[in-house]
Amino acid sequence: MEDYKFLFKVVLVGNAGVGKTCLVRRFTQGLFPPGQGATIGVDFMIKTVEVDGEKVKLQIWDTAGQERFRSITQSYYRSAHALILVYDISCQPTFDCLPDWLREIEEYANNKVLRILVGNKTDREDREIPKHIGEDFAQRHGMYFLETSAKEAENVERLFMEIAVELMEQAKCKELPKYDGSLGPINGKTTSVGDGSCCLRS
Amino acid sequence: MSFVKCCFEGGEGQDFLDSFVQKCTDPGCCCGCCSALRPRYKRLVDNIFPASPQDGLVKSNMEKLTFYSLSSPEKLDRIGEYLFQKASRDIYRRRHGFVIIAMEAMDQLLVACHSQTLNLFVESFLKMVQKLLESTDPQLQILATQSFVRFANIEEDTPSYHRRYDFFVSKFSAMCHSNHGEPGPRDRIRLAGIQGLQGVIRKTVSDDLVENIWEAQHMDKIVPSLLYNMQSAEKYETVSCAEGGGAGGEEGEEESPPRLAEACLRDLLARASFGHIRSVLRPVLTHFDRHDLWIPTDFAVHVFKIIMFSIQAQYSYSVVEALMQQLEAGRGGVRAARAAVLAAIVGIAAGDSVGPSVLEIINNILTNLRASVARGAEKETEEKLYQEALINALGEFADHLPDYQKIDIMMFIVNKVPGAAKPSRADAMLQHILLKSLLKVGATYKTTELSKAFPAAFLEALLRLSSATEPSTRVLLQRILHTLLDRRDNVPRLAVVTLDYDAAGLSVEKCSRQDLIFISKHGYAIFSALYEGLQLESNSTENIACIYTTIALLCVELAADDTLCDLMLLILAIQQSSISNPVLSVSQQCQLQAVSISLAALLPHVAKLPRLADYIHKVVEARREECGHLLPPLQHDYRLSDPTLLPAKVPYLMMDQMAISECLKASGVECGRLQGAAPYCGGGPLQHRHSWIETGAAAGRDSLADIAAGTEPDSAASSPTLARQAPAECAGVSLEALRRAAEGGSGAERRDAAQRRRALNLAFRTAPFHHLMQVTQPKYEIQEKLEEIFRSVSEEPLLAPSLKSGPPLPDLCLY
Repeated sequence: MEDYKFLFKVVLVGNAGVGKTCLVRRFTQGLFPPGQGATIGVDFMIKTVEVDGEKVKLQIWDTAGQERFRSITQSYYRSAHALILVYDISCQPTFDCLPDWLREIEEYANNKVLRILVGNKTDREDREIPKHIGEDFAQRHGMYFLETSAKEAENVERLFMEIAVELMEQAKCKELPKYDGSLGPINGKTTSVGDGSCCLRS
Repeated sequence: MSFVKCCFEGGEGQDFLDSFVQKCTDPGCCCGCCSALRPRYKRLVDNIFPASPQDGLVKSNMEKLTFYSLSSPEKLDRIGEYLFQKASRDIYRRRHGFVIIAMEAMDQLLVACHSQTLNLFVESFLKMVQKLLESTDPQLQILATQSFVRFANIEEDTPSYHRRYDFFVSKFSAMCHSNHGEPGPRDRIRLAGIQGLQGVIRKTVSDDLVENIWEAQHMDKIVPSLLYNMQSAEKYETVSCAEGGGAGGEEGEEESPPRLAEACLRDLLARASFGHIRSVLRPVLTHFDRHDLWIPTDFAVHVFKIIMFSIQAQYSYSVVEALMQQLEAGRGGVRAARAAVLAAIVGIAAGDSVGPSVLEIINNILTNLRASVARGAEKETEEKLYQEALINALGEFADHLPDYQKIDIMMFIVNKVPGAAKPSRADAMLQHILLKSLLKVGATYKTTELSKAFPAAFLEALLRLSSATEPSTRVLLQRILHTLLDRRDNVPRLAVVTLDYDAAGLSVEKCSRQDLIFISKHGYAIFSALYEGLQLESNSTENIACIYTTIALLCVELAADDTLCDLMLLILAIQQSSISNPVLSVSQQCQLQAVSISLAALLPHVAKLPRLADYIHKVVEARREECGHLLPPLQHDYRLSDPTLLPAKVPYLMMDQMAISECLKASGVECGRLQGAAPYCGGGPLQHRHSWIETGAAAGRDSLADIAAGTEPDSAASSPTLARQAPAECAGVSLEALRRAAEGGSGAERRDAAQRRRALNLAFRTAPFHHLMQVTQPKYEIQEKLEEIFRSVSEEPLLAPSLKSGPPLPDLCLY
C-alpha cells in the first residue's frame, strides 16, 4: 500500500564479492541466492518496514563492487540518506580497501550521510578480521558497526531496522539534510485524499 | 459491481455525496453495500475492471470513464488518485492482471484528455509508474516504462516545478544494467531502461523549469548506462546521419539495446547546448577510462564520431578540445589510442572551426608532440605510435581546412621548428617530428600558384632547414618541397633518377606568368639551397635522389625559356661540384654526375630543344661506353676498380658549358649568361638582373646586409667548396690537381667577377624606376648602399681561391 510516512534511500558499497547483493536479497526477499553473479552497475530493491507504528519505505540501491562501474555507482551516493559500507571478514583485502571507500564517500556523498560499517560473512570459519578491529575502525571514522551473515540471516534485519530507526529519528529532529528529491520523485501538492499518501515531513 | 451498476445507472446528482465519501479510503470500505454510496467517478473506475483479469479492460465502461473525465475534467485528479490506490493494492496482493488494466486505463485517460487539465492527473500517473517500477517483476517494470514513454511524448503546457525525475533516472539507469539471468528478458529490461531514459530526456531538456537533466548527478547515470549498452554491440557501424534519434519509442521493441542506446545518445547530444557539452563528455571520458575502452580504438572512434555527428556543428570544436585536454593523462597505449580517436574525429570538427580555434587546436597538438618528444625514449614504440597518431590528427585536421588556412598552419608549424645550427638530440627529434607534421599538412594542400604556396617568410624558413644536420630531416624537407611544388602528380614519375623520360609520361604545362615572377624573385635562394644541399658530406643516396626530384619538379613546373638558362647553370654547377668538392665520397661524386646528366636530359623534354637533346644523348652514349657509373640509376655503393674512371679523371665525358650554350642558342634561347658562368654562381647574375633588391628586402638578410658587412657581394656564399678545396687537395696527392684546381678556380673567378659587373650595370639600366623607389622607401638608404656595392664590386681584388677566406659558415647555411 502506498501509505508510507518516510522514504529513505540506502546505498550499499564495498569491494566486489563481499556480499552486498546477498544482504539486500536476504532483507527484501528473505532468501540467500547461492551463486549470485556479480552485480552490473546498480540494482534496486524496495522494502517497507514499520517503526513505532509508522511505515518507513527503504529504497535500497545495491551497487556493483567492480572497479569499472565505479563512476556510475558513485553517482548514486549523492542522494543517499544512509551508506552501508560492507567488507568480508574472511578477506583482508576487502578490509584494507575501506580507507579508499571512505575517501570516495567523502568526495561524492552528502557529508551528513549516515554511515554504517558492516563486516559480512560471519558464518565463515576462516575469519581474518577480528571483530574488535572492525569496531575500532568504525569508531575512528564515526560509523556505526555491525557484523552480519546474509547466509544465516544474522543481524541482517537488525541492520536495516536500525538504519530506519536512526534515519527516522534524524528526520523527526529535522536534522535530515535537505536532499534534492528526498520527497520522492513526484510528491506534488495533490489534493491529498486523506490517507496521507505523501511521505516525509514537509 | 453489477449491483452498483444497476442501482445507479444513469443516476445524476450523486456528486453531493463526494465530500462525504471522499475520506472513506479504508480498503474494507471499498466493497459491499458501502459502494452504493460511492461517488460517481469511483463507480466508473470500478466498472472498468472485469471480474477476471484475463478478460482485460471493459471497453465500453472505459469509454464511459473517458467521456466522464472529458466532460468534468476537474474530477480527473481524483480519478487518477483512485486508480493509483486500487493498483497499489493490487500490486501488494500480487494481482498483476488488475495492475496492468489500471495502467492501461491511465494511459488511455492520459492520451484522451486535454493537456491543461492533465497536470494533477499526471501526479497520480507518475506515482503509479513509480510503483510499478519498484516492483521486482520485470513485466511490470517494462509496462511502467512503456507508459512513461507515452507520457513523455505528451506536450504539457503547464510547468510542473515540483516534479522530480530523480527516481526515474536512477531506476532506468539501473534497468539499463540489468543482469537478469536469461538474455531475452534481460535485453527487454535493458531496452525498457533506455527507452525510459530517452523519455526523461525528452521530457526535461526542452523545459527549463523542470529538473535540469544536465546536472552531473543525472549525466553520471545516463551516459554510462547508454555507453554500457552500446559497447556490447558486436560491431560498430557509424552512420553520419544525425537524425537517427527520432525513431525510439514504440517501435523500439524490435531494436537491440545497443542501437537504441545509440539513438538515445544522439538524441541527447543533439539537444545539448554549449554549456552542456562538457557535462556529457566528462562521463563519457570517465567511462572509457573505467572500462578500458580506449584499446582497441574502434569503439572509442565509433562513439566519438557519433558525438561529432550528433552535436550541433558549431560546438564540435569543444569536443576536440576536451579530448585534447585528456590526451596527456593515462599510460602510453591509452594516450596513443586517444590520439588515434582524435585523428578520427578532428576532421569532422575542421569544417566548422574558425579563426583562433584552428590555431589553438594546432598549437595544442604541437604542444603535445613536444611533450612527447621531451618525455623521450623510456617507451619508444608507444611514444612513436602516439606521435604518429598526433601527426595523423594534424593532417586530418588540415585536410578539412581551406587552402589559405593550410598555408597559415604550415607557417605556424615551421616557426615552431627549432633551428639551432647544432641541435641537441631532442631538438633534432622535434625537428624531425615537426617536419613530419608539416609534410602531413603540406600533402593536403593543393598548390595553384607557387607564390601563394611559398610566402617569402615560409620559403626562407624551409630553405634554412634544408641544411639541417640530420640527413633524414633533410629528406623530409625535400618531400615537403615535392608536395608543395608538384601540381600535376609528377612526383612518382620523378622519384627515381632516370634518363628515360619518355616512359615516365610526365605531364608538362606552360609555366604561368606569376610563377615566372616568383622564380625570378626567389629562384636564386631556392637553387643555391638545393645546390648546397647536394654538397653535404652526410648525404645519403636518398638525400641526393630527393634533391634530384625537387630540381626535376622545378624543371617541369617552370618550363619556360627564361628559366632554362638558370636551370642549366645549376645543373652544370652540380656536375662541376662533383669533381671539385673535396668532401664528397666517390659514391657521392658518381651520384652527382648521374643527377646532373639526368636533369640535363630532362630539359629538352620540357622545352623544345632538339639540339640539346642530341648533345646530351651523345654524352650519355659516351659515358655508357666508358663510365656506366656516371649514369643513373643511383647506386648505394660505387666500387670503382679503376681510379682513372673517377669523374675527375674523365673530363671529356662531362657536359661542356660552351657546347650546351651553343645548343641553346641554336634553339633560340637567350643564354648569354651561360657562357661566362663558372662553378656555381649561376644564380648570381640571375638575381642581379631581375630583382636583387626585392630578395634583399623580402628575405630581410640577403645581399644588402652582406654587402654592408663588406663581404663578397653574393655568390661567395656558394664558394665554400672552392675555399675548402685547396687545403684538401694540398693534403691530397697531386700537385697537378692543385694547379688545375687553382687555374680553373681563378679563371672562373675572374669570369665571374666580370659577369657580375656586367649584370649589375644591366640591372641599373633596366630595372624600372618605381621599383627602386619602392624599395628605398622602407629603411635602406639606397643611395649609400649602391655606392657601397659599386665600390666593393669594382675594388674587389682578384684573389686566388686558395687565399680567399670564405664567409662564416652559418651565413652559408642560410642560402
